[in-house]
Amino acid sequence: MTDLAVTAAGGRRRRGVGRPRAVTILAFVLPFILPFVLFYLVPVAYAVWQSFLVVRRTGGEYGTLYTTFGGFTQYAQALQNSEFWGSIGRIALFGIVQVPVMLFLALAMALLLDAPMLKLKSFFRIAAFMPYAVPGVIAAIMWAFLYSPQLSPVVELFKGIGLQPDFLGPGAVLWSAANVSTWLWTGYNMLIMFSALQAIPPDLYEAARLDGASDWAIAWRIKVPIIAPSIVLTTVFSIIGTLQLYAEPAVLRQISSNISSTFTPNMLAYAVASGNNYQQAAAISVLLAVITFVLSVGFMRLTSRRVGL
Amino acid sequence: MAIMFVLAIYFLLPIYFLFVAATKPQGDLVSTFGLAFSHFRLFENLGDLFGRSNGIFVQWALNSVIYAVLGAGVGTLISALCGYALAKFRFRGREFLFSVILGGVLVPTTALALPLFLLFSAAGLVNTYLAVFLPSIVSPFGVYLARIFASAAVPDEILESARLDGAGELRTFFSVSVRLMTPSLVTIFLFQFVAIWNNFFLPMVMLQKESLFPITLGLYEWNGQTVHIPDLQESVITGALVSVVPVIIVFVLLQRFWRSGLAAGSVK
Amino acid sequence: MDQVVALWNKENPNIQVQTKNIANDQYGAIGNALKAGTAPDLAQVGYDELPDQRTQGAFVDASACADAVAAKSKFVPWTWAQSSFGGTGVFAIPQDTGPMALYVRSDIFSQHGLSIPKTWDEYADDAQKLHAADPNLTITFFDPNNAEWFNGLLWQAKAKMYDYSGDTWHVTVNSAQSKQVADYWQKLISAKLVRTDLANTSTPMYAAYEKNQIATYVGAAWGYGNFRDNLPDQAGKWTVVPMPTWNGSAASGDWGGSTVAFMKGGQHLYEAVKFNLWLNSDPEALALSNKVGGLYPAATAGLQLPQLSQGVPYYNNQKIFDVFADSSKQVDTSFTWGPTQKAVNVALQDAMAKATAGNGTLTDALATAQSTALSSMKAQAIPAVAGN
Repeated sequence: MTDLAVTAAGGRRRRGVGRPRAVTILAFVLPFILPFVLFYLVPVAYAVWQSFLVVRRTGGEYGTLYTTFGGFTQYAQALQNSEFWGSIGRIALFGIVQVPVMLFLALAMALLLDAPMLKLKSFFRIAAFMPYAVPGVIAAIMWAFLYSPQLSPVVELFKGIGLQPDFLGPGAVLWSAANVSTWLWTGYNMLIMFSALQAIPPDLYEAARLDGASDWAIAWRIKVPIIAPSIVLTTVFSIIGTLQLYAEPAVLRQISSNISSTFTPNMLAYAVASGNNYQQAAAISVLLAVITFVLSVGFMRLTSRRVGL
Repeated sequence: MAIMFVLAIYFLLPIYFLFVAATKPQGDLVSTFGLAFSHFRLFENLGDLFGRSNGIFVQWALNSVIYAVLGAGVGTLISALCGYALAKFRFRGREFLFSVILGGVLVPTTALALPLFLLFSAAGLVNTYLAVFLPSIVSPFGVYLARIFASAAVPDEILESARLDGAGELRTFFSVSVRLMTPSLVTIFLFQFVAIWNNFFLPMVMLQKESLFPITLGLYEWNGQTVHIPDLQESVITGALVSVVPVIIVFVLLQRFWRSGLAAGSVK
Repeated sequence: MDQVVALWNKENPNIQVQTKNIANDQYGAIGNALKAGTAPDLAQVGYDELPDQRTQGAFVDASACADAVAAKSKFVPWTWAQSSFGGTGVFAIPQDTGPMALYVRSDIFSQHGLSIPKTWDEYADDAQKLHAADPNLTITFFDPNNAEWFNGLLWQAKAKMYDYSGDTWHVTVNSAQSKQVADYWQKLISAKLVRTDLANTSTPMYAAYEKNQIATYVGAAWGYGNFRDNLPDQAGKWTVVPMPTWNGSAASGDWGGSTVAFMKGGQHLYEAVKFNLWLNSDPEALALSNKVGGLYPAATAGLQLPQLSQGVPYYNNQKIFDVFADSSKQVDTSFTWGPTQKAVNVALQDAMAKATAGNGTLTDALATAQSTALSSMKAQAIPAVAGN
């Protein structure tokens, strides 16, 4: 993303770009930088610091608590915790399936909406984008009703054809949560890709069309490569979103005992914090942030060579 | 075309279901088919919703609006100032600053919530409006967008002539640049508004007092109680509808801003 | 609670009490009001949460007030032992208890020619017979998300989960007695003789009872009003009998109930003691708490309340509270909760849910709880070892 931005705004040294006095610059940047430092950087630093502490206690059973430097103790514990790996594994499985499915859907829809022959474009666009207006918690509550064996018209329809789906069963519940995410975010991702498609000058296709290329060939050979940066961006956002997953499984947990309190890494961190083990929770949060960072930056680096970002 | 219709049904069905369910009496939720209307009781349900626990739902809705409107308002202003400075001023450490801010986009906000909780409890801020409001105003993505928009929408020549006229930078910003950037500021505002409106984890960690809850947290709490209090189910459904529909309408009306924002965020 | 407080405020203009209900999700809520620096003087705390909160330094010792110390004799012994942590301090005043008993649909039992089970073995036989007679009928349900209930069963089986001696906690969550209970329920679950899809006091649970699909309920004293209020049609069909026993010797467990604890950071300890003792030992207050909240008092005086010695119409005028009073006397007084009980309960629930989904057994769940107990105590720097 850094690369991407620098080409956008930096680099150029134009005549009109001013060099005001330091005070003026501070007046512009401090209103953001101050809260950014206080509510972004300080908590990150605090979490890192906490994650290197361990709890000690003076005077036995109910002695007074204090913390002391513990090196990598918390990290070692987190990495030895089977619940941690369980939650990571679950989220990895979730992401490997859900993210491509969602982005493929989004891309297909964006291409269809960009194709000349489709009618009712704005209706489809609005329909797909609508879920983005729905908070994750509320979306999960809505879907929970559609999953619930007592209330769901969907379950009822399935019963009509002799099936007895259990959306909340031990094997299915992860995919039920994945469906909520897909429902929520496909339209948003579609709109990012669609906006990118709209920005392509139409004359680019003319030559190809004169050469007799089909719409499909134009879509896959010309359009998709051009909007590759958007696809990369949506992938990165999806990776970040997946690793943070909390609200949707937490809501489904209210109606299904097949979602444990440690279902996702974030739920684990929260459960650990609820057990007053803040240092361990901090270590888990830091690990999660590092994994997020490595995956998203790694993905960008990997793709930037290919798509020439 | 057929595919698009199937997908459209997929996207609209849950909202349609929500609407149908919100019009039914509690008993019909289980006993009648979920996608067909039965007894139309929407207005009674709304009355129940708004009357429950001394009108706590209205309070939640109000809280959500306060958090989202004020948070996004302040957030947009400070993002715009900072992004504008990054686009239009040359100063030492500018690129470094920008990289740090962009790094912030990659930090999972949920990872911040727990340490923030500890810091805020030390500062005595937990369980106050500020506990949710303050972290919400910071949007690194907003700065990123503001920088792109500022370099695209504000011609350097105008700034130059304003400087020749002797106008201060802040005055130029508020009297000239803001006007040029208005459509993009709306976009930034919308993004942040939705982010705060949808936020759940932060308020959950920070707040125990029901009267401070945003709608998301309030409905989550109610939903957790429906297992034991069946009557709440109808209120959860009606509450979900009430909280979703106005936003969807605003959303659809403001679609063009989204598209410009998304295009700027991805393509440039 | 609100009505009881209103009564106090009317009678005591000098000490006015305010109450606040907090969010429902006791095991989800992170951080207590203490952390936020807004601790109240008093807070309602479950027995099983007392050690947990004390390790976090949540309480003050009220034993400086002579009244508080002197109140010891007014309460059922185990409740006092748990709120004083077996020592001389007074960190909380016991409020109510949940001595356990078996609620039986006597009509279903007689319809199938069964007599009241005295032991858990007989209970399992009955489960078999009921299910054989009617596949839609089960003897009860097992709620995997209710560690408190399961702990009550362990308590009845004299499964000591923790013991503090020699400056160290001895953790025996998966003792032989615990395993006996786990094995027993696992067998019923595996044979599908109990349902596992119902959450306690949930709407679906009442619906299942309503449809005569479940014949008994393993419950506590405070729940006596649940069926009365939710299943009025079944008036006269329910009987309360003592819990089935292990190997015939009478013993009971406690499920739920709570104390009112003295919170650190409170400003009015003397007044708090006064109100707390009134709330939980004054007959008038206890009578009102029982009437509006169904609380089964922890104060011995409360057990003599007129309303607790009469027959209850819903239960065919059976004097059900005699059963609970007997149960209360047979609750093992030496039972101790662990200092990280909250984390242990959550881990136990997660693992029990896995077991009921066919992934592992309840004995595995106990092993998980045992290791969570040890690791969570280690994380809090609480000295602990496995076994005796």
